[in-house]
Amino acid sequence: MAPLKIVLRDLKRMVRNPVRTALLFALPLMLAGIFSLVFGGGAASEISIRVLVFDEDQGLVSRLLGGAGSSPEMDRRLDLVPVGKEGFEMMERGEASALVHFPPGFTKNYLDGEPVVISIIKNPAERFLPQVVEEGGRIGAEILSQGSRVFRTELATIGGMTQNTAFPSDLAVGSVASGVNNKLQSLKRWVFPPVINLETTTVTPEITDEEGAGGGISILGFLLPGLSMMGILFLAQSATRDILHDRESGLVRHLLTAPVSPVDYIAGKCLSVLVVSSLGFFFLVAFGIAAGVDWGPAATTIALVLAASLAAAGALVLISSLVGTERQADALSTIVIMVWSLIGGAFVPISQFPDFLRPLAKTTPVFWAVDGFHKAMQQGADIAAVSTNLLVLGGTGLIFLGLGAAALRRRMAGGLI
Amino acid sequence: MITIEGLRKHYGEIKAVDSIDLEIRDGEIFGLLGPNGAGKTTTISMISGVLRPDSGRVTFDGLNIWVEPKKVKRNLGVVPQEIAVYEDLTAKDNLDFWGSLHGLRGPGLKKAVHEALERVGLEDRAKDRVKTFSGGMKRRLNLCMGLLHRPKYLLLDEPTVGIDPQARLAILDIVREVAAAGTTVLYTTHYMEEAQELCDRIAIIDHGRILTIGTLESLTRQSGESEVLKVVGNFDENAANQRLSGLSGLRLIRVEEGTVLAGIDATGPGLLEILPKVLESGLSIDDVSIQKPNLQSVFISLTGRELRD
Repeated sequence: MAPLKIVLRDLKRMVRNPVRTALLFALPLMLAGIFSLVFGGGAASEISIRVLVFDEDQGLVSRLLGGAGSSPEMDRRLDLVPVGKEGFEMMERGEASALVHFPPGFTKNYLDGEPVVISIIKNPAERFLPQVVEEGGRIGAEILSQGSRVFRTELATIGGMTQNTAFPSDLAVGSVASGVNNKLQSLKRWVFPPVINLETTTVTPEITDEEGAGGGISILGFLLPGLSMMGILFLAQSATRDILHDRESGLVRHLLTAPVSPVDYIAGKCLSVLVVSSLGFFFLVAFGIAAGVDWGPAATTIALVLAASLAAAGALVLISSLVGTERQADALSTIVIMVWSLIGGAFVPISQFPDFLRPLAKTTPVFWAVDGFHKAMQQGADIAAVSTNLLVLGGTGLIFLGLGAAALRRRMAGGLI
Repeated sequence: MITIEGLRKHYGEIKAVDSIDLEIRDGEIFGLLGPNGAGKTTTISMISGVLRPDSGRVTFDGLNIWVEPKKVKRNLGVVPQEIAVYEDLTAKDNLDFWGSLHGLRGPGLKKAVHEALERVGLEDRAKDRVKTFSGGMKRRLNLCMGLLHRPKYLLLDEPTVGIDPQARLAILDIVREVAAAGTTVLYTTHYMEEAQELCDRIAIIDHGRILTIGTLESLTRQSGESEVLKVVGNFDENAANQRLSGLSGLRLIRVEEGTVLAGIDATGPGLLEILPKVLESGLSIDDVSIQKPNLQSVFISLTGRELRD
């Protein structure tokens, strides 16, 4: 079995060259490591927005608004911190995403129907989270404004009640309740049923960004499959470089003088690239697990790793079969790997891409690998659920390998090797 | 016996090998001598089954290498011109891999590796990575890989290129030992001295064609000249042709500005009569040298060029 002997020899060469081997794994590990450090590993799964609340009013409405984060869900997402004037200094030090300021007399003026102002000071160092606060504040202000207009009389009555020290009488409370009820009845046509029906459906996302990751996927978990796929493509690039080195150094010609056919050699090298790529991918999966990433069902992960490695090995074998020298192969394959990684969603979710670019993502093995891993991570997808991904990756890999092997065979027959 | 019939390989208009016929007898060292680019490597690549010829056939004891490649290659050892070893592996790793490809395994492989390393004097460097070896040591390891499985046929393509004289002598000694043990050897070289010292029979190749085949004695006799005269001086081609072409017993092989190569007919008047006539010919002569018949003079008489040209 000459192909297996070639694989064993290549693995032995990796063992004999620990530095070279370490460098082969360095790129994907380095990228994964950097992202792990930046996002704090698996613990960074929840994004919490820290908002300072400076309530100079201390009235009913401002206290109600300032306590908006008391529900369990909001409490998880929103970290509301009551502050005094020192809040402005905290903002200057960048200690929160935003500061919400309720001025003195806010509640009174609101209940009296006077114009009121809520100030939001945003942290310029952050890009997305202050915008979330701003949009939330805008929606809250709209609701309060419409409520003020509709329940003008009732709010004025409530305002009077709050200024009296005595407990309001049953008649006064009943009057307010009756007024609110009458207005709601008159609005019934529009409010019950509402003019706008909001339907909530749980969909199967193809690519979900960190805000939409309902399945609890961490940022590192979101990025790691794409980075790993890119890393494996680079690993396969290094492994296929051997084919060109063997060719240029005369090792292939020498091997063919032994009882080894060109098909044996090509099969051995393809298998070797596949084994190295798979080992590299499993190594990165293990790294992810150590960093707290949940890859989903083991069988699905293993199947995806093998299929993705096959696609990577096939692509790089094909490239190496089409070019003449190691330098040409390096240049061409680096371009292909970077383009595939960028448009395949290794760095940025394709949901963020312009419309014209999204269909292109599906032409890359990176997309199908990332999509499959995300399904396993987010939904615990089994092998059947990612069968399309496996078929595309495996099929592409086999086609690429077949074309690459045929091209290498033709070069050998023509005496170019 | 290795039989080569009508072997041909053309690259477009270039005739790398043009209809070669050879018969290499069992146990002999057969030399293929020719200048760089003569077609030696292309020939050996086709004989060893690496490069498919446009036409012709190569058989080893009747087995066609292109029909039954694995069967033939089990008995074939090839030492390529390039140092084709894995430099990041140790000498032993390289030999283990190579031996396993030839079907050796277990104690048999271990013994063969040990013996081969001992034969080329590398046993104490067996566990060192090849990248730490000198050029001569790498050449010896290259040779070792061809000998490891004790092949019946050994093809060596310029195995001494770029090494020091001592390492060259060591390699030639090993080739002699292998041949004495019964291995049939095909040895290509552009070093005339190597072919003269080593080979039982020699074929001279140029521009992809075999010019002549024979033993050293038969080849030198075949040229029909007792000596080759080389005249160097300050003269042009026409003057040299006019003054020397009429001299009896002198055959002009190559005449160009400043240089004349001429053979002295073994049956003619002889060097002592011809040389004074050359010196008195009126040409401005700086140097005259005389060569006894050897492969160089044979090559010159056949091609009009020296081997190093």
